[in-house]
Order: sequence, then C-alpha cells, then structure tokens
Amino acid sequence: MSKLGQVVEAVEKHGQFVLEQVKRARSDEKFGRELSERWQKTKAGIPISHAPTGLPLPRMALPEIDEPGEIARYLFGEGLPGEFPFLNGAYQEMYLEPLERVGIEDGSYGNKKSPNGSQGQKNAARPPEEPTRLFSGLMLAEDTNKRFHFLSAHQRSKRLSTAFDGPTLYGIDSDADGVFGKIGEGGVAVDTVEDMVRLYDGFELGSPDFSASMTISGPAPIIMAMYIAAAKRRFGPSVVPKLRGTIQADIFKEVQAQNETIFPTEASLRFLCDMIEWTTREMPRWYPVSISGYHIGEAGATPVQQAAYTLSNGFAYAEMLAARGIPVDQFAPRLSFFLDCGLDVEYVALARVSRKIWAIGMRDVFGANSRGQMFKLHTQTSGRSLIAAEFKNNLTRTAAELMLAYMNGTNSCHSNSADEPFTTPSEEWIRLAAHGQAILLEESGIFKHTMNMLSGSPGMKAVERAVEKAILDEFHQIEELGGVLAAVENRYQRSQIQNAAHRYERQIYDGTRPIVGLNRYRDGADEMPEIELVRTPRAKQQLQVNRLAKFKKKNAEKAKRALQKLGKVVERGENSFPALLEAAEVCSLGQITSRLQEIVGRFRPMV
Amino acid sequence: MSSPIRVLTAVPICDGHDSAINTINLEFIRHGIEVVYLGFHRYVGDIVRAAIQEDVAAIGISSYNGGHVEFFAEVVRQLGKRGASDIAVFGGGGGTITQDDATVMKRKGVDQIFFAGTSLADMVEYVRQHYGKRRTQVAKVEGDIALARKLTAIEDSFAQRRRRRNAGSTRRFGPERNSKRARVLGFTGPGGAGKTTLIDELVLRFLQRSPKARIAILSHDPSVVGEGALLGDRATMINSQNDRVFMRSMATRGQSGGLSPATEGCLDLLAHSDFDYVMIETVGTGQEALPFRSTLVDQTVLVMNPDYGARLQLQKIVMLDVADIVVVNKTDLERAKAALLEIEHRLAQNKYRQQIVATVAKRHRDHGVDMLYDLIMQDSTAGVSDRRNQTSERQRAATMKTRTR
Repeated sequence: MSKLGQVVEAVEKHGQFVLEQVKRARSDEKFGRELSERWQKTKAGIPISHAPTGLPLPRMALPEIDEPGEIARYLFGEGLPGEFPFLNGAYQEMYLEPLERVGIEDGSYGNKKSPNGSQGQKNAARPPEEPTRLFSGLMLAEDTNKRFHFLSAHQRSKRLSTAFDGPTLYGIDSDADGVFGKIGEGGVAVDTVEDMVRLYDGFELGSPDFSASMTISGPAPIIMAMYIAAAKRRFGPSVVPKLRGTIQADIFKEVQAQNETIFPTEASLRFLCDMIEWTTREMPRWYPVSISGYHIGEAGATPVQQAAYTLSNGFAYAEMLAARGIPVDQFAPRLSFFLDCGLDVEYVALARVSRKIWAIGMRDVFGANSRGQMFKLHTQTSGRSLIAAEFKNNLTRTAAELMLAYMNGTNSCHSNSADEPFTTPSEEWIRLAAHGQAILLEESGIFKHTMNMLSGSPGMKAVERAVEKAILDEFHQIEELGGVLAAVENRYQRSQIQNAAHRYERQIYDGTRPIVGLNRYRDGADEMPEIELVRTPRAKQQLQVNRLAKFKKKNAEKAKRALQKLGKVVERGENSFPALLEAAEVCSLGQITSRLQEIVGRFRPMV
Repeated sequence: MSSPIRVLTAVPICDGHDSAINTINLEFIRHGIEVVYLGFHRYVGDIVRAAIQEDVAAIGISSYNGGHVEFFAEVVRQLGKRGASDIAVFGGGGGTITQDDATVMKRKGVDQIFFAGTSLADMVEYVRQHYGKRRTQVAKVEGDIALARKLTAIEDSFAQRRRRRNAGSTRRFGPERNSKRARVLGFTGPGGAGKTTLIDELVLRFLQRSPKARIAILSHDPSVVGEGALLGDRATMINSQNDRVFMRSMATRGQSGGLSPATEGCLDLLAHSDFDYVMIETVGTGQEALPFRSTLVDQTVLVMNPDYGARLQLQKIVMLDVADIVVVNKTDLERAKAALLEIEHRLAQNKYRQQIVATVAKRHRDHGVDMLYDLIMQDSTAGVSDRRNQTSERQRAATMKTRTR
C-alpha cells in the first residue's frame, strides 16, 4: 500500500478513535470528569474582547456543551485552534485587530496599522503571519519594484508576492524566438540575476520584516538560485540563512492543471527535491514549495477534486523527501499550501477538512511533530468566478469568497481585483480588492472579536462530513491507479479536471449554474468597460532584450564553464542545487534551462 | 456526404491556459468538426507548419497570456509567406483581448475574434458558416501544401463515395512514381501503450543521426461517420515539430480496425513523395486487430503495455503472430519483468523470427528506444521487398487463424 492508502486508513482509524473516546468519556467516570474539568478551564481562560458598542465577546467561541461525550467529540475530533487535528485552525490565535496587538506582540514582528489591513496571529513558535498578501508583477523588474513599493508603502512588514511573465514561467529568455510581445505581460520579466537585484531593490531581503513570495514552478529551482544570488550580491553570503519567503515550485499541479512545466516530470521532481533538501538545511525560514490547489481549481476542478489532488500531491512530496533520508521534522514544517476559494458550497468547509486530513496523515503516517502537522494555508479568491460581463459584480463575488476563506481560518489571503478578467490588475481595482479585506477584518467585527465566529454550525458540519468522505474516495481512486505519480502519468487528474471544467461551462450555458450578468439578470450592456490596460510598451520589451544581450556578452566565458559544471553534476546524479547557485551568478534563465534540457529532456505535454 | 470541416486549435507560446480551448474542442467535435489540437505553449512556426500539413480550413488560437496582437499577426504573416493565406485565423482570449486589440488584429488579417460571453453554440455556428466550404484551389502550389492538398483530395473522395474501397484512386493525384520509395513502418497496439511517444522518440533519433532524412507520419484517431474527432497526437509530439517531418492526422471516419478508409491511398502517396521513412500509427487497437493488410508496410511494430491482464490474454492478441518487432513499453512499471517473460514465451510459439524490445519511451535518451532504432535501421539494409512478402504471408495466416477461432 502506498502512503496515500495509509493516510486513508489513518483518517478512518482516527474517526474510530474519536468514537471510542466519546464512549469512554460517557462510561469512564474519571476520564469524563477530567475532560469536563479541562473544558471548564479552557472556557474560563478565553480572553474577552469588546465590540465598539461595549458588547463583551470571547476571543474563541466554543460549542455550548457540557456532556463529557460531546466534549470528547470536539476535543479529539476537531481540536481547539492550534491543536490536533487542527480542524478549527492551524494556530491558536488569528485575525486580531492590528491596533490591539501592539504591545502584545514581540516588537520586531508587531505591525502598525496598514491600509491593506495587515493582521496576524500570535504564536509562540513562529513569527505572526499577516493575512493580506497581494500578488503583483508587471513589465520589467524596475516597474514591478515600483509597484511593490506602492503596495507596501504603509506596511512595516513587507510581504511581496511576485508574478512572472510567460517567458520566465517557461524558463525561456526574453530574446528567444517568438516571445517578443509577451515580455513583461501578465508578470515581470526576469532573465538574469541582475533583473532579480532590480526587482527587490530597496527592500531588506534579510530582515525579519520582509518576505518574498515567487509564483513560479517549472523553472523554480533556477529562479530560487537567482534570488539567492541576488541577495548575496546585495547583502553578502551571511544573508542566506535569514531569507524568508516562499517559492511555489509545485510540479505536480503544473502537470495536472497549469501546464507550466519544462522538464519531464521525474526530472522536475528531482530538481525540486534537490532544492528542498538544500533550502530546508541552509535557509530554515524559507518555504521551498507551496502545494497549490489554486490552479487545479482554476483549471476547472471541483472543490473536492482540488482538495484531494492538493493533499495527495503534498503527501507524495513528503514521501519523496522522506525517501531521500531528509528527516521529517526538517522538511514537514516547511511545506505550505495554497487553495482557491470560490462560491461553491463546498468552500464552506474545504480548508477545515484539508487541515484535518493533512494533520492526521503527517502525524500517523509520516511521524511528523506538531509543527509538521500544521496545514499552513494561503487562500486566493477565485479568478475563474470573475467574469468580464458586468464586471463590477466581481467585487461582490470576491467579498463573499473572502468571507468563506476567513470562515475557514486561512492564514493569509489574496483578494482578486474586479478587473482581472481583462488585464493585470490596475492600481484602482487592486486598492479596492485590498480594502475589501480591511473592511471584512477591521471595519466589520465578524472575525476580530471572535476569531472563529462562524465555525461549527450544523450546516458547516454537514458539509465537512460530505467533503471528507468525497476526498477520501478520491484518494482511493488515486491509490488504485498506483499512487500520485502513476496517476499523473496516466493523466487521471488532468482528465478529471477537464471533465469537471467542461461540465461547468455547459452548466453556465444551459443556465443550471447561475451567473449574474451572464445568464441571469443581464441588462444587455455587453460593451467592454473602459479600463486602464496594463501593457508592456515595445520599447520596454526591447530594453529587456538589449540588457540580456549585454549580460550574455559580459559573462560568456564564465557562463560556459558554469554550464559545463552544472551538466556534469546533473549527469552524475548529485544534488544539482549548489551548481545551480553558481550558474545563476553568470548565466541567464534560458541558458540554464537549455543546458538542463539537453541532459534530462523536455516536458512532453499531455493533452 | 461531404468531408467534415477540419480546424487546428492551439495555445500560443508561454501560455498554458488550455481550459477554454479544451472545452471549445469538445464542443466542435460534438458538432461534427475534426479538430487537430496542437496543445499549449506553441511557437508560431509550429502552428503554421501543422496547419499547412493538416490542410485545415482555419486555425483557432486561444490566448490568455498577452502578446496576442503580435502573435496572431505573426501567424497570419507566416501563413502568407508560405503560400497558405487561404487558411483563416480566428481566436479569443476571454477578456484579455479588447475591442481595440481586435480591430488591430483584424486589420492585420485575423478573420474573427470571439469575446468573453460568446456562447459555444455561436462559435460552432461561425465555424460552420465560414469554414465549411472547400476553398477554391490555388493554381500553383508546391511542397507541403501540394502534398497536404492531395491527401485531402484522397480523403474527400472516400467521404463522397464511402464504403467502396477503391473509390479513392491515388493515381489521379499523381505521386511521382519514379521517385524513391520510402521505408514504411507500421505502429499499432492498445490505447495508452505509448505509441505516439515512441514514434516521437524515434523521430528524434532519425533527425539526429540522418542529418538529411525526411520523415512522414500518418497518425490516426477514432471517429464515427459524420461526426468530428479530436486529433491530438501532435500535441504530445515534441520532436516532430520540425521542417523535416511531415505529419498528417487522420480520423477513422467510421472504419473499424484502427485505420481510415483513405489510409491506404494516403500511405501510397506518402511512400512516393520523397520521404526516407513513413511511420503510420493506428488508433488504439483491440486484440483481434490486424490493421496492416496493406503490402505497403515494410515492417510492423506492436507496442504493448505490461498491464495487458492475465497471461491468457496474450493468446488472443493476433498482432503478436505477425508483428516484426514487439515493443514492451513502460517497462519501469512493476509488472514489466513478468510481462517480458510471458511475451517471449508467446512469441516462441511462432515460426517467424520476431524481435522483442523493452523500452521506457517517456525517458529521455532511453536505451531501449536506442535499441529499437538500431533494429529498424538494421532491417532497412535487408531486402525490403522480400520482407514485405513475408509480412503479407504472415498476415494471411493470422487472418485465417482469427476466422477459425
């Protein structure tokens, strides 16, 4: 049985265990009394928060139960926030009002009030996370840099999230045949370490108040190496262990859904594991992979498929890393997750169930410690739920999705701009998207007084049960096909996602899936709205091409040697990451990609 | 009955957004259109070459990553440069393509842009209305275009007079009979065995080791009479996107057995069109299939997956009696060792000398594929006509066996 099969067993066993504890709490008087006492003590210890009207509210809401069996069901089956199996939250505190937190938090991580509604949760072991993280990337590195400074101007804690342009995502240089026109479109163009220096110029990369997120998977190890090289150029080698941030690097979801992969799957996985092995040792504060359901959801998967494939991909990575002999407590706490949140009803509890399954699997199958059991989650509201027709409705869609995301206890969140169906979001709509989060978290009192305000309703529990069962059924399917890698190669997940996408489209066209402004309440105005389009001028694209030519000319000799060495290391089967680090100093992205492809081949697309 | 409309669809370079095009492809097929799908992250040159070789009426491009003005215009420009400006270009990109963009694109020769909110039905209707009529023949065409049009004519003649096997005489289209005859390799086997990947890996070796060799590929996907088909083999072929490779995708158009009614005619034409090798790939076949009745095939390769089920199943696979080479692909799977042994035993029952090769075609520079390539090359030095006679004799024997079973 593969690890995934063992996870299914462990979750089922855990269900049994909870039932036994419920029974025992009812029959074993001493045990029942202990539980009741703990319950009373927990309740008494919950801090009180005051609404502006003076209404007192508990920071954490607990169900109104006093019967030992039910207490056992809650404590063992769900856990308090920050306790196994983490159904109610990965951490014990979240969504505090920023002003109240000043003075509670460790000074270096405390946060000022920010226009984007930055908040965080308290946790003794980890620095607090801020839930607002906005994705950005456009034109050339200096343009994105300017946008980063604009977005984070009032934030003490700088959390940047980087989108790359098409050529970069495919590991191709800006001077490659046929890519002119796409340079800097949909994200920033990065060809060399020099671009990487420009991209984060003016930010203290080694500061505990800075973290960078990079959304790239196919060439992720190369981009990671360039980021490290850029940091070293600016701050010296001692900065490396201090670097904080995330790189997406999720190859499985690329092959299953997003199609941005450049090497054959097994080779990609090898380069990925090389990188994770190196960063979890040398950069203990970096998250080297963001296991992403977002793109699976965006490609058309149902919410259950999204969660099932994401979790099973995560378990597959854990299995590979463990097989390399990396201690589970070294890598497991460095795995993080990224989910989509749309308007389907499953989203009422999708992240809650995901946290539980991950925790049980990591504890019972992989033997991870508490930090390695936590499903640390970034959520993004659904891009595909946004439509061009009557696009201002997208503000409402995003607002509803944000509510669902925070009801699920997400640790950070990106809210989409309403103009996303057309273009890279413009500043006006980005501001509205960010303020949507501030309105929910700061203006409204829904989560800031009682962090789990809307958790645990009977309806939510019903969704939880249905979703959990459906996810485990998907695991069974994948297990039947021989595990995640075999299922991927048989394009199982791809075809499931495509079928779901097709059904979704047909439902829109036949009206069984209502979309306001498209198949319902359409006011007939089909004109495309006046929006400010963000396009990269040809002159800028040419500038990038010229810069790259200069870089290549300057480093020609050194690049040749670095690529030779890289090739040898890869041929010999050694960890490729140190050689990548050297190559990143003097080679362009495209040069490195080509060299690696000569050895391991190119990705063969699946239809 | 006229031939189905053929269109080619693709997603541009550096763009992996294939959700929309997948849905549109399915809708086209449902409405009787044959779709040659080239996949995502595709260069302009690859799209134009494929459109010409497949002789499609139009190219549909789905672009979501920007740069569409340049990309679409470049497709139109290259079509013109290669003398194929009668192939229309249409496309869409949800909200990413604005009205202003579309105006510019149309000025540059793009036929139509579909905006967000266009219904699938409207798209299908547009394609039917505008790309349904056979184009007027351009007087003088040569090279790939000429060959592609002759292949279409052969297919059309069968569509018009279906079920009369000789309806599509190839002679009318005049292959250069005096030119050299290509070596024809036939690939067959069950669906999912990896035939397409294997052929593409062989192409890589042909291209690398014979610097001047030209190769033709005739690939098949299933379709029902009067309905569309998804012709998707090109999408997974990364090495065959090359000017020295001529590839044509055919729908079986209702014929069982793994090939199209027009296959024989097309194969004959290709074999006499100055290629060094012609590789023909059947659709995924069943146990009884004996697709290569034609004496045109010099060598047959049966590609198998180790997961064929119980050993007894092997007795029923007729191709095992006649294939010159049996490839067991995906030998990285657990069952591979047992499968190889079982198949070897099975082949030992036959009187002919047959080769068995174990491959992992998905692996770059796979040793097994190298061996297969060498076997094929060795054989090409042996007497071709001799082998062709042997093959047809074996085919006859195997057919008898099928009938008496």
